[in-house]
Amino acid sequence: MGRRLATIRGSALALALAVMSTGPGVLAQDGQYAVLMKTLSNPFWGAMGQGVEDGAKEAGIDYFIQAVESDQAAEPQLNVCNTMLERQPVAMITAAINSTNLLPCLKTAQDRGIPIVDLDANLDPAVLEAEGIEIAFRIGSDNVAAGAQGAEYLVSRLGAEATGPVLVIEGLSGNITGQRRAQGFAQRLGELAPGLEIVASLPGDWDRGKAASITNDILTRHPDLVAIFAANDGMALGAVEAVYAAGLGDQVTIIGVDGNSDAVKSIRDGRLNASVAQLPYLVGKQAVENVKKVLAGETVPKDIAVPTLVLTREVLEEGSEPLLQYVK
Amino acid sequence: MTLLRLSGIRKSFGAVQVLHGVDLDVGRGEVVGLVGDNGAGKSTLMKTITGIHRADAGEIEFEGRSILDLDPGQRRALGIEMIYQDLSLARQQDVASNIFLGREPTKKWFGIIPGIVDRAAMDRQAAEMIRRLGAHLPAMNRAVGSFSGGQQQTVAIARALTFDPKLVIMDEPTAALAVREVQGVLDLIRRLKSEGIAVILISHRLNDVLAVTDRIVVLRHGRAAADLETARTDMNEVVACIVGGSGAQAAAVHEGRGAAT
Amino acid sequence: MSSELARPGLWTRAQRGSVERLHIRLESLLVLLALAAVMAALSPYFLSFSNFLNILLATSTIGILAIAATFVISAGGLDLSLGSVMGLSGVAGAFVTVNLGVPWGLGVLACILTGALAGTVNGQLVTRALVPAFIVTLGMLGIARGLALVISGGRVIYGLPPELLYLGQGRPFGIPMPVVIFVATAIVAHCVLAYTRFGRHTLAIGDSEGAARAAGIRVDRHRRVLYTLSGALAGLAGMLFMARINSGDPTAGLNYELTAITAAIIGGTNLFGGRGSILGTMIGALIMGVLQNGLNLLAVQSYYQQMAIGAVLILAVFIDQYQIRKETRS
Repeated sequence: MGRRLATIRGSALALALAVMSTGPGVLAQDGQYAVLMKTLSNPFWGAMGQGVEDGAKEAGIDYFIQAVESDQAAEPQLNVCNTMLERQPVAMITAAINSTNLLPCLKTAQDRGIPIVDLDANLDPAVLEAEGIEIAFRIGSDNVAAGAQGAEYLVSRLGAEATGPVLVIEGLSGNITGQRRAQGFAQRLGELAPGLEIVASLPGDWDRGKAASITNDILTRHPDLVAIFAANDGMALGAVEAVYAAGLGDQVTIIGVDGNSDAVKSIRDGRLNASVAQLPYLVGKQAVENVKKVLAGETVPKDIAVPTLVLTREVLEEGSEPLLQYVK
Repeated sequence: MTLLRLSGIRKSFGAVQVLHGVDLDVGRGEVVGLVGDNGAGKSTLMKTITGIHRADAGEIEFEGRSILDLDPGQRRALGIEMIYQDLSLARQQDVASNIFLGREPTKKWFGIIPGIVDRAAMDRQAAEMIRRLGAHLPAMNRAVGSFSGGQQQTVAIARALTFDPKLVIMDEPTAALAVREVQGVLDLIRRLKSEGIAVILISHRLNDVLAVTDRIVVLRHGRAAADLETARTDMNEVVACIVGGSGAQAAAVHEGRGAAT
Repeated sequence: MSSELARPGLWTRAQRGSVERLHIRLESLLVLLALAAVMAALSPYFLSFSNFLNILLATSTIGILAIAATFVISAGGLDLSLGSVMGLSGVAGAFVTVNLGVPWGLGVLACILTGALAGTVNGQLVTRALVPAFIVTLGMLGIARGLALVISGGRVIYGLPPELLYLGQGRPFGIPMPVVIFVATAIVAHCVLAYTRFGRHTLAIGDSEGAARAAGIRVDRHRRVLYTLSGALAGLAGMLFMARINSGDPTAGLNYELTAITAAIIGGTNLFGGRGSILGTMIGALIMGVLQNGLNLLAVQSYYQQMAIGAVLILAVFIDQYQIRKETRS
């Protein structure tokens, strides 16, 4: 029965021997940065990727970038992270899906002396401390400040004496970014305009469709809704559709966060009112620049905050704001 | 000595009552033919004997004891076997697996781990049984679904005969066979009788029934309409009982239907 | 009584030899080896012991779910709730140890029992209420996931006892614990399915329920056992992932059931029941694992990976059906 079977057995054995005989780090690569994003389907991350690319080009750095199929694929991202470590990068720049899913991989990176960068501040400092993981730095927008800017814009539009119900659409449950934005907004709003009452704060899971459903439900309960703050643009745009479908476009002020290209288009069209633009392009670019410094032995701040910018129709049409060039 | 006694068996499926109180006796080593028109309830009646269907009312006694509360496995253990019309084989499993399904011999690994199927014993006994039947199968370790209809039936027959049955029920065993194979089945029935094994034969082919049986029971509209001694009856009488009235035209119609199967 | 077939050729005999002895399909093994060879040729990082362990580690949870899927599908059933039950189990285990301060051993038990409970509910509904397995387990998929989010409040439950962490992060003799547990489970499961009565009856039920009943097999009770087992295995997978990341993550196992079923089918399990082997499923899971690992090493984007896996699945089923058609008479 054999020849075919014997050949297969033989090749399997050879393969096994080959695997066993090679250890890790067979090939030394010079200085590749590993960049792990959540998913590339959101233009936000696309812009960040662009920033990484431009930053790497300017700094003369070689890198490889990967993502997973959705921003909820926790274990797959962990698996990709482990695989990236196989390529012996000199730095790991990661945007974790939640505060714990990459822990085993980050520990391994730390054991191998590879500096870790928390891209867009997804890791919980308390968890990192408990796990004994030290990151080189975290870089991202100050999400609390971003939320606060959203509140400031709303108050500037409606007035400090305004009253009425407000809906907050949070991000993915448990995600720290979404939490900070919602908190920042709620706190500042309470300070500036106590008459504006947040009647609901619900998780939209970063999902456009889900945000639309939530908006519909809340509009049914509160037909006199005056404003919606969504923790990202995708959800804000979902809310926009729901509001306009209900014919309440003039009544409800809608604010998103991210400033991605879809949001910009909607603002120019006069549908979405404002978006607190993060500058993901800058985040990506500065992440790479700072990693280069770290590897060169320089000190960089542990918390690098990239400024945010409130985008409105006026700001876009005027076009004089210098940070606008970083809005992609 | 009565091996099997059915008294007043009733069975309904939902609103449709199929068996209206059937009485049937089978003696040791007796070959009883069960005939009737389509829908008379023959297969249903047999399945109440093997336990696939639960009779709604009535009594079933095997060797003098009631078996109504026993499940199909337990009834098989008593020696009641059936070769189903569709053979009821597990077509992706091999010959030995089918023959021993539900009663696989077991052994212990390393003397302590129990419940391991003893494949060697199974294969040996299965091959032996196939040989005793005088049959040739393409391979013992291939899925039986790849065999021809006749070969599959051989496996079904082997399954029914391997565990020393006392009663073998055959539901349309010759329906899909070639002429030579049909004779093989009839010879088998004669052999079983000579070994003291009782047989219930369900068949449309009245010539076959008249050839091998001791008695013929006619089922009509869910009742045992007639219980005839084979030696003292003939085709016309049997057909008349099946159809429920004498008439050569009816007989011809029935014969025509029977020959077509 | 019947004519003999022509003597089969060398290839068919080799296949039957494998089928007979190891209960695997030659084609699947060849695909795996070929894939590994291609990946090794394309990426210098592929052929290393640590990458090899990496592949096994990444395949552990899906692999255990695929074992569950193999048992259930072989008996003609289906379990779409595997991923959700995995997530729920991890959350349950984390909840009782972190929030209720229960000792770690009971935490492990909580994971497995939660899974078994969900599986038992599935089994009861399928066999007693006679609701089709597709619908029952689809419903459980939603219920389990929702329950996981409710219990966890939508966030991860962090900070397990250190003994529990060993199950997910320990490396006895350099081999990650999840791999050890996965391989051990696979070996036991293979022996059960291939060599015990329980395993043979499982396959028979999927092959022909009528034949199984006629053979005296208690089909309904057997099915209930299988669903409970399936849930317990999902619970085990949930426990492993929880221990790996030191937290109960309500989104764990999202969409895993389809991948698990895919692995089983690539490995030779008949989707309609009656044929299946754990070793075969392991090969199927490894094929997907090698594919994903290799494509990751080559930095191919995940969308292409999904296309590749879909293509491999269709190819595998096509080869499978072709074999069956050749072997079975019409």
